[in-house]
Parts: sequence; C-alpha cells; structure tokens
Amino acid sequence: MGPGFRLGVDIGGTFTDFVLLDEGSGDVEVLKVPTTPRAPASAVTEGLRILAARLAIDPAAIRSFVHGTTLAVNTLIERSGSAVGLLVTSGMEDILEIRRLRLPEPQNFFTDAPVPLVPREAVRGIDERLGPTGAVERPLDADQVEARAAELCAGGCRALAVCFLHAYANAEHEAAAKRRLAERFPGVFVCTSGEVWPQRREYERALLTVINAHVGERMREYFHALERDLRGLGVASAVLSTKSNGGIMTARTAGERPVETLFSGPSSGVIGAHWVAAQAGYPNVITFDMGGTSADVSVITDRPVYSTEAQAGDFPILMPSIDIKSVGAGGGSVAWVDREGVVKVGPRSAGSEPGPACYARGGAEPTVTDAYVALGWLNPQRFAGGGVPIDPELARGALARLGDRVGMDVEETAWAITEVATANMYARFTPFLTSRGVNAEEYAIVAYGGAGPTHACLLARELGLARVLVPRVPGALCALGCLVADLRADFVRVFDARCDRLAPEALERAFLDLEAEAGVWLRREGLAVAAHRFERSAEMRYTGQSFEVTTPLPDRVGETLAPVLEAFYRVYGDVYGYVDRDAPVEIVDLRVQVVGVTPKPRAHPAVPGRGRPAGPGTPRRLYWDGAMIDAAVYQRPALRARDRLSGPAVIEQDDTTTIVPAGFRAHVDPQMNVIVEVQRQ
Amino acid sequence: MSASRATGPVMLEVLRNRFQAIADEMASLVLRAGHTVFVKETSDFGAVLVSVDGEVVCAPMNTGVALMVGVPCDVAIRRSLALGVGPGDVFISNDVWDTGGMATHLPDIYVWRPIFHGGRVVCYAWAFVHSSDVGGIVPGSIAPSSAEIYQEGLRIPVAKLFRRGVLNEELLALIRANCRIPDQNWGDIKAMISGLARAERRVGELIARYGIETVRSGIADVLDYAERQAREEFARIPDGTYVFWDYLEGDSGGGRAIRLKVRMTVEQGSVTLDFADTDPQTRQSYNLPSHSRRGHWQFVFSLVGFLRSVRGGIAYNSGLARPVAVEVPRGTVLNPEPGVAVGNRSATQIRLVDVIMGALAQACPGIVPAAGAGQGSIFLLRVPDFETGQSKVSVIQPLCGGSGGRPMKDGIDGIDFAIGFLRNIPVEAIEADMPVRIRRYRLRADSSGAGRYRGGAGLEIEMQVLAPEATVTSRAMDRYRFRPWGRLGGRAGARGYTVLNPGTPGERDIGKIDVLHLGYGDVLRIGTPGGGGYGDPLERAAAAVLADVRRGILSRARAARDYGVVVTGDLHVDAAATEARRTALRAAGHPVADFDFGPEREAYERLWSDALVTALNRALESHPPRMRTLLRERVCELIDGEAASGRAAGGVDLAGLLDRVLSAVGHVPQTAAAPGTR
Repeated sequence: MGPGFRLGVDIGGTFTDFVLLDEGSGDVEVLKVPTTPRAPASAVTEGLRILAARLAIDPAAIRSFVHGTTLAVNTLIERSGSAVGLLVTSGMEDILEIRRLRLPEPQNFFTDAPVPLVPREAVRGIDERLGPTGAVERPLDADQVEARAAELCAGGCRALAVCFLHAYANAEHEAAAKRRLAERFPGVFVCTSGEVWPQRREYERALLTVINAHVGERMREYFHALERDLRGLGVASAVLSTKSNGGIMTARTAGERPVETLFSGPSSGVIGAHWVAAQAGYPNVITFDMGGTSADVSVITDRPVYSTEAQAGDFPILMPSIDIKSVGAGGGSVAWVDREGVVKVGPRSAGSEPGPACYARGGAEPTVTDAYVALGWLNPQRFAGGGVPIDPELARGALARLGDRVGMDVEETAWAITEVATANMYARFTPFLTSRGVNAEEYAIVAYGGAGPTHACLLARELGLARVLVPRVPGALCALGCLVADLRADFVRVFDARCDRLAPEALERAFLDLEAEAGVWLRREGLAVAAHRFERSAEMRYTGQSFEVTTPLPDRVGETLAPVLEAFYRVYGDVYGYVDRDAPVEIVDLRVQVVGVTPKPRAHPAVPGRGRPAGPGTPRRLYWDGAMIDAAVYQRPALRARDRLSGPAVIEQDDTTTIVPAGFRAHVDPQMNVIVEVQRQ
Repeated sequence: MSASRATGPVMLEVLRNRFQAIADEMASLVLRAGHTVFVKETSDFGAVLVSVDGEVVCAPMNTGVALMVGVPCDVAIRRSLALGVGPGDVFISNDVWDTGGMATHLPDIYVWRPIFHGGRVVCYAWAFVHSSDVGGIVPGSIAPSSAEIYQEGLRIPVAKLFRRGVLNEELLALIRANCRIPDQNWGDIKAMISGLARAERRVGELIARYGIETVRSGIADVLDYAERQAREEFARIPDGTYVFWDYLEGDSGGGRAIRLKVRMTVEQGSVTLDFADTDPQTRQSYNLPSHSRRGHWQFVFSLVGFLRSVRGGIAYNSGLARPVAVEVPRGTVLNPEPGVAVGNRSATQIRLVDVIMGALAQACPGIVPAAGAGQGSIFLLRVPDFETGQSKVSVIQPLCGGSGGRPMKDGIDGIDFAIGFLRNIPVEAIEADMPVRIRRYRLRADSSGAGRYRGGAGLEIEMQVLAPEATVTSRAMDRYRFRPWGRLGGRAGARGYTVLNPGTPGERDIGKIDVLHLGYGDVLRIGTPGGGGYGDPLERAAAAVLADVRRGILSRARAARDYGVVVTGDLHVDAAATEARRTALRAAGHPVADFDFGPEREAYERLWSDALVTALNRALESHPPRMRTLLRERVCELIDGEAASGRAAGGVDLAGLLDRVLSAVGHVPQTAAAPGTR
C-alpha cells in the first residue's frame, strides 16, 4: 500500500477548516468552507468533495480522518440539548442550585447565579448512602430508582444522569441504577458520575454527568450521520474526533462521552502548535492564538500543560483539558474612552457583524483591527486573502473620533489601542503563567489565528521573551492539530495517602490497576497504533493544604518514594518559589493518561533558498512607537527556507500578516516556519 | 473631559493593568500555597500593593475577600519607618491597637515588604491571611463571649520578621509558641512571603520597562483615577441625609441587642457616614476597632459594592474610598477603647453592610437590594484525632443565607452580597476528612422573604457526628432574633434556627452556638436566614410563585398566605381562586411598607424606640466608655423591670432611672480625667 492522505477538519463557529496532507510528497492543502450550523456534517462532506475534485484524489485514499467540532460546547452554551433528569443521594437535591456558593461577581448587586442545567423539578433524591471509603451505609433500592425515573421521563426528560455521594469510591450503586434504567427506559441516554469522571467533589462531578447527558443524544446522532455520509463518499478509514485533552478518540466513544469534546477545538490548535514547535526544535513554548473576539494562550513545557479548572460557560469542568487562558482581546475588540478620558479596549467585541469599522458593514467604533489598518500594518487589498474588503478611511474616521476625545491624532490613537490591548493580555496572562510555574523569558511564542502573528512581537516584548514562531498555516492550526494528535484518555483514582506512611509497592499496584483500565480503553478503540505508553501523574500537596499540584511521575515506582517526592518538590518550587523538605506530603489522587501513538507524517525539509528573500516590493510607510518608518514588505509564499530578513518588515500571506518590528530579525526554518527573534545588540 | 496628570490616558490604563496583574499574581500564590482553613476554604486573605502614603494601589479582583479597598496602611508604615526600613526587610503585625484600623482582629496576620529603587521606597507589597488560630481562650481564637483582647490570642506589634533577608528566628519562635497550629501558620506566612517577593520582582521589571518616574507617578495617578470615578458615581446619588439602623443580636454572650445607626450624608459626590447614635462598646467581642478612619475598609464595603454594581470595570483601589468620611465617636462598638475584645467583629461588619445598604436603599431605590441573610458564620468542628492524640479542627460549611430581593430580580439563593466571595466545601471532602455524615445540604423551604422579587432562600444543613466527643463553634451567627428586612412592600426573610436531634424525643432548639459539645450519633440541623423580599408580593407573577412551589422552596400554604396564589395539589395555579384571594387581601388592607422589619423588631422597638435608645446613649456619653457599658446595663435592667410591670407604657423616665443607677454604683472610683455625672 503506497502513501495516502490524512485529513484534518476543524468545524469552527464561522468556518470549517480542512488541512489535507499528502503523505508521499509532504504537500499540505488548506481549505475553508462556511460552517453549516444546523447540519455540521454537511460542511464536512462538502469540503471533502471540493478537495477531492481539486486534487483529483479518491476519498478511499484518505487513511486518517480526524475532526474537531464545537457542537458539544455550543449545545451546552445554548442549552439546546436533551432535557435531563438527575438522580442524586437524598438530601442533596439542591446540589446544582447551591453550587459552590461563591457569586460570579461577589460585589455586584445585579449579578446572576448560573441557572442550573437541570431544573430543580427534574432532580430526584434516592434513599441510598455510601460512606467515604465506599462502604454501603444504606442499600440502593432499584425499584425506587425506576419509580423516580419514570416520573422524570413522564415529565419530558430524554436523558438521565446519576450522581451518588462517594461513587468515586464504590461505583456499584450507580452501576446498579444504570442497569435498571437501561433495561426499563431503552431509548433514554443514561450516564453515571463514576463512569464519566470518578473524582471526589460531588457538585463538579454531577455537573460533568449532567452535561454529558445534555449533549449526549445530539452528539451521538451527529457522529452517526457523519460516519454514514463519509462512508457514502467512499471514505474507508476510521472516523475520529478530537478531545479537550488534546487527544483523539473514535466517533463511537465520542458519542458515549461527548463531554470530553467540549474544548476540542482550541485544544487541537495547541496540539498543532506543539507539533510545529517540536519539529522546529523548540520544546518550551507559549501558544498564542488571537482571533476576532479573544486571545488565548497555553503553555507547553515539553508537553502541553493540563488544567482541571476549565470553565465552559457557567460551569467548571473538572476533567483534564489543555490549559488555555482566554482574554477578550481580539481583532474585533472595541476601543473606547471612559468618562475620565482613559483609553480602554474591550471586553466588548464588534464580532464579525458589524465587525471593525474598516469592514464597511456599519461598524462605527474603532477596533484593534482598525488600529492595525491605520498603522499601516495590514494591506487593505490582502486582508483574509482579499476575501474581506477593507476601507482604511473608515478605520481612520473611527479612530479620529476617538482620538479627538483624548487629544491624539489617528496614528497615536491606533498605537495606544495596541498598547492597551497588550497590557490587557499581560495582566491576565502573567498570573496564569506564574501559577503554572512558567518563567516566560525561557519560552518562545507560537503565534497563530488571524491576528496572532500581527500582535505577537508586541506581547513578546512585554513578557520579556525573545522569539516568536509563525507556522506555515497559522489560520488552520486546529485542523493541522487533528493530523498529528494521538489517542489519549485520562483515568483517575482517589488515593488519599501520606507519603511518609505509604509503601512504594502500594503506589505501584494502584498505578498498575489504573494502567490496566487504561489499556482496556485503548484496545476497545481498536485502532492500529505505532506504540503506546502510560503517562503517570499524581495530584499532590503538603498535608493541610487544599490545592494540589499536578506532579508528573516516572513510569515505575522504585524501591523508595524519594523520586516521587523530588518530582513534587520540583513542580512545587517552580510555582511557589520555595519548598519545605520536612513537611509531610500527601497524594490525593492518581492519574494515568494512556497515549496511543499514531503514525506521524514524515518531515519533508523544504528546498532551501539562497538566504535572501524574493522581493521585497515597494517599502510601506507604517507607524511604530511614535514615528513613521519604512518597512520592507514580503510575500510569505515567496519565502524560502533559510531566507533571512530584518525588521521593520511586514510578511503577508492569505490568512494573516506578520509584523517584524525594528530590532527584530526573522528567518525561515527548514519546515517553512518564520522565526522572529530579538536582534542582539 | 481630558485627563490632566503626569500619566497620560494610555499609560494610565497600561499601568493599571500591570498593577492589577501583580496583585492577582500574588493572590494566586497565597491561595494555592495556603495551609489554614480560612485561606483555603473561605478565601479570607488579601494581597495588594500599597503606596508610600499607605493606600492600596491594586487588589485582586477574583480571589480573596473583596475587602481590601480602604485598608489604611499609613500607621503601620510609620511604625516600620521607626524601626528602620531596608531592602529585604519583611514586617509583620496583627495588632489592632498598633496599626490604626488596618488589623481589626488578631487572627488577621499582615506582612509587608518595602520595594526599593535607587535607595528609596517605591511602594510596598502587602498581604494578610485570616489565620485559623493565634492562641487565646478557644481554638480559632474567636469567642463571641470574650471580653478582653488578652483572651483572643497573641498580639504582634509591628515588628521585623526578616531583616535584610534574614529571618528573625526568635520572633518566629515566639509566634509559633503562642498558637495552636504553628506549622499551618508558618505555612501561610511562607506563602505570603513568596507572594511579596514575586511582587518585588514584578515592580522591578515595571521600573526597568517604563522608568521609575512613570511608575511613581502612575501609582499616584491610578489612585486619583479611582477617586474621580467614585466621586462621579456618588454625585449621581441625590444630595441629602439618609438615616438607618439595625441590630446585632449580641445575645450569644448573654448581652443585649446592639444597635448600629448611621446618618449618611451625600453632598456633591462626597459621602459622610456618621455613627453618632451607635451603641457603646460591648463586653463581648463584637467591637470593631475602626479608629474612625476615613474610608475605612469595613465601612466602605457596601459603597464599593454600589460603585462596582453601577460602573462595571471601575478602577479598584483605595481611591474609591477617598470620598467617604467616617465619623464614629470613641467608646462605641464601632470605635472602642483599647483593650476590649474584638474577635467577633465580622458579625458587626456584616450588620454594618445592612445598615449602610439601608441608608443607600433610601437614596437609590432602583439599585439597592433588600437585606440579605446578614450572617456569614464559619461552622467549625473539633474532634479527637486518634492518630496524634490531639484534636483536629475543620470547617464543616460556611453558614450563609439568601440575598435580598432586587429591583427587577429575585435574590440569590444560599449566598448574599455581604459575603459573596465565600465558597462551600464539597460534602464528599468533609466526610473524607472528618467523622461526620452530612445528611442534608439543601435550600431551606419557606425562608425567602415574600416579594414581587422574592429574597434568596436560606440553606439547611443536617450533620450527624460519628465521634465520641466533638465540639462545635460557630462565630458570627446572627439573625436568630430579628429578620432580614424587606423593601417597598417586600416581606422580611426567615430567621435562622439550630435544632439538636430533630425528630427525636431529645429534640431541642438551641439557638445560636457559642461552644457546643456533641456526642456520638448526635444530629445537628441548622437553617440559615432567607433574604428580604422586594416589592409587593401580590404583584409577583403567579407563574413565578408556582415555579417556587415546584422547586420545593415555597409551600402551597405560604403561596396562598403571602402571595395570594392558590396552587392545586397537582401543582397548577388555580387562576380564579388566586384572583379572588388577591382581591380579598388587597381589600383587607394588605400593607406595603418602605421597610418590613418583621414582627419581632416591631415588638422590640415598641419599648426600645429610637427616641429612648438615642436618649440613653446621649445621657451616657459623658461617662468613660467602660463605665458607660456598666451604667447602660443597669439602666436597661431597670427599664426592663418597668416594662414588665407595665409602668413603661406612658414612657420611661430615663433621667430618674439613671440617677438611681448612679447612686447605686457611686462607689466605683472615678478619675479626674473621667467626669462622673453630668
């Protein structure tokens, strides 16, 4: 069998992106088609038809089909999924109303507590009880479960979620309830908290279960339709979906555990960025994805950093997902002046309708994109590959109106907007990076999204880092991530042990049990993998603390726990700046991530150029930090590996514009990334 | 309007963001590395930058207490300067009498570090935690019944914990020897110190990036900026004087209701809070040592909430507190003399929120909610620890209740704006940690004050103890006697209750808890207050009433009684019966009051009227504060006696009663400095 094709598809809110990789030549083809929100699968088949026709390929030659979709998260945010009924331990019926109490804005008299995903009328208490170690203190009565569920189904519930106290320690009550429900209510989607994510903390676990149930039916139907349509077009490969943890799973598994796809889009972008950076030789990077409404960063220190504190709309998501911090500072963020005459940017966004003033769709307020245009950074003829016409006079007009209020001219106002937007990012990103133990100076930025490469050097300067990497396809990194992601699944077990009283064998045994469970998952996925491995970690803390640090651990627990403790001290010290080697340390829970390594595309080093880039064309006048300067303008497609250039310069391509400020230089690496670096004096 | 200051309109926003990042970064370090329960579970800590003049420049927006604006650090700075301030120094204090209104009870341990540039202090990094124990008469250091500060634990006057980076081991040993949880406290102090060091580094980076002059003027200008914004919003409040009072029940130590009364005067963007007719300091630990500081953090809390509500994204620093004058006579519960107990002042702080909200509500009826539950009690359990032979203490849950109903919206269930930053604790985590079962953790039915927009429901917690000996303490329980008030026709919310062994022959209503001993198998059920309602309940949509019945937080009987909505047995509205009932209620003179305080307060004030309490307090003003407390108690006993015998019906002869008391206590030695009788 000769080399075939790999297809990555990312279904976003506005566009569905495709990246098709020819395994033989290493060529990459990129395509964008409008997303079809009502039937997302049809944009996929449409795009596939276009690609197949354009490149004259047979869909059967697609060896790998991986896609990411925002369907689950949109269904959740719109709350348009199935009506869910929830069964809980009696006495806890208000679990979703009480939440964790803390108000979203504790001092705002107008703040609203999140509306529960399941109305209180659809919650029923069940008279069962487990103790914290899983001992049965009050047995389950399956007849009562059935009777309560019958009431809920009669009231219109189409899915049932079950969350009993301490189910993480003993899943039997939930399992027995599920068996009865599956038997008596066959058409109803049923899931239990223990199977979704058996971690201690009943509110968050119940939420995950409820979310899974809420989006479950729609996601199952969607995956079914997609698989059927793809088969109809002749695609023979397995249909895979991306996950919030940056991995992939089969569509069948995704239909059972759709809650795992909530953040799959942005996570897949991070996986793409990780791949690009690793190929280029940068193991430690901050990914920086700046689009129309937000700027998102995440951290890669050899591997992506995970979070168990992600938030989907109103709801905390306890399962590990790639740790992404989002700030409302994108190209569409609106600039304004407050009553005291202070310049502000965002958080409101002009979105794509009406969009920035320069889009000429009726937007009158200046945005970050208008600032770029007025500063001369963007080429009005080439914005979005020429697909979005830009009127610079409208941008200037909007900026002039704002500037009049603070006594600044158009360029000064535009520059101020970029500075304030950068300060907003700095203010949110720095505490985020700190709490992940990141010293920003030691990292490079991978910039993507429509505005990422435009803004990256401004951010780099504030964060004090020296290097920015702009991938070849900065507009389609999420789809690229689909091509290179591995099968990944996470497993958790509550462990509760103090290290000074723990036998190393007990820890090893618990990890082996968890790995056995993970191995079963991998086999059930049924895909050929090049290799597999288990990544162990533990949630650890000093005895008496209540926040844990996720500590990656070695593959084997040895004769002593010293290496485990050393690993904890290292992570703890990175975050908090000190360690105490005398205080007792405890392990709260164990984590295993199983990784089924997928075959990766071969690297195809590009044909080097002669070091001097083609062009540049006529220099462009642009504004930078108080002065008009001449910048060289380069076309990205004309750049060749090893080409070098110096700022001030502008590099244009269809999906973005890279700004190389004065004091920076850039070169093209063998993978065709543009690497922008601070020029040493 | 254009900005006129050293820092331009762009750099101001840039620096405000940068300062904010520093505060947020410090706060995340303190929270995550924190060891004691109040830090971890209730976010009772803060981390800020402070100007050389002692004002808070930036405070965390999303972690910690929302109580850092207006913390006066100037006195503490003066004390540190007297000790000599150098790079690498770290100062520490928790002292209520040495820090001029910064620390207001001993568990709040503050540390700070000067940040130098070119030999001069640029600003200070500052942090505090509420330690779970600093010694004293009870675990946790706070007992409502304490009378002297010496019962409340170790006092640390302003002192150097680190001198040029070197730890003062002797001071640390002294601190460790005087608290029950030395390791946890030292863990928290280390967490704070790592936050301070990080802030120092970040300020250094900021100076390197923008220059020292920009940073110095930026600090001054972000404070001015917040002040201007605050003045502008306060200027929208109609000028005038607004009077309001409310009570701390004060009876957990056997005392009497303590009245807090404010005259709030608003004039062209300036606010004066005058507490002239507030009750004298108490023998119990409700005293709040504000030192009557301008813009004091515990007084401006409600006003800062108002500013943040009406102006999203307002600059968040002590500039917001500058327009607020605070006038509290010495010797009152809000500005006591040195030496009295102050531990339970958080109960006072919460009632102060209600009092200022009540005044503000009259000024801004369309913005301010009805009273919330007004209780933010931390319910602690101590059990024997068989492993160590010592005991083990943990928070079971914060006891808070519903917020007040709001103009256009219902109140929030289970939590209130006075303590909206609190988080609860997962039942599974409590049970894994402590030998208890939480048998019920639910919203409390029929606790919301009725209203067009109802109050938030209280909580109901039922705990069974599975240990041989257990001790419960729960400071700051209140609203067991007087209800959270309703507004503009809305009804007052339900009061709190505590029941021991409900549904058994031994069932007992035990009221507020000071210290309670429990045995194996005992069951304690606590209901927290509900928020007051807003607007006439007869105007609440019948469908909304039905929804509350279906959610289980309103009984059908109450729906009919309070709302005139008749809900059928199969949970539907009987429209015709509802219409008839509402018409009948209106015809029967259904009351629509500005404030509904509930029958208990109305009954209480029939004797203890505003006129009587004000006259009593004024009559005692000339006596030294501790005499005042004594005289007041005696006079009150006589008044009670008069009332019991029916003699008070025609009014109380206050002067006569006071003379009787004075002649009876005439043997109390008087000093020349303290004039005896008037």
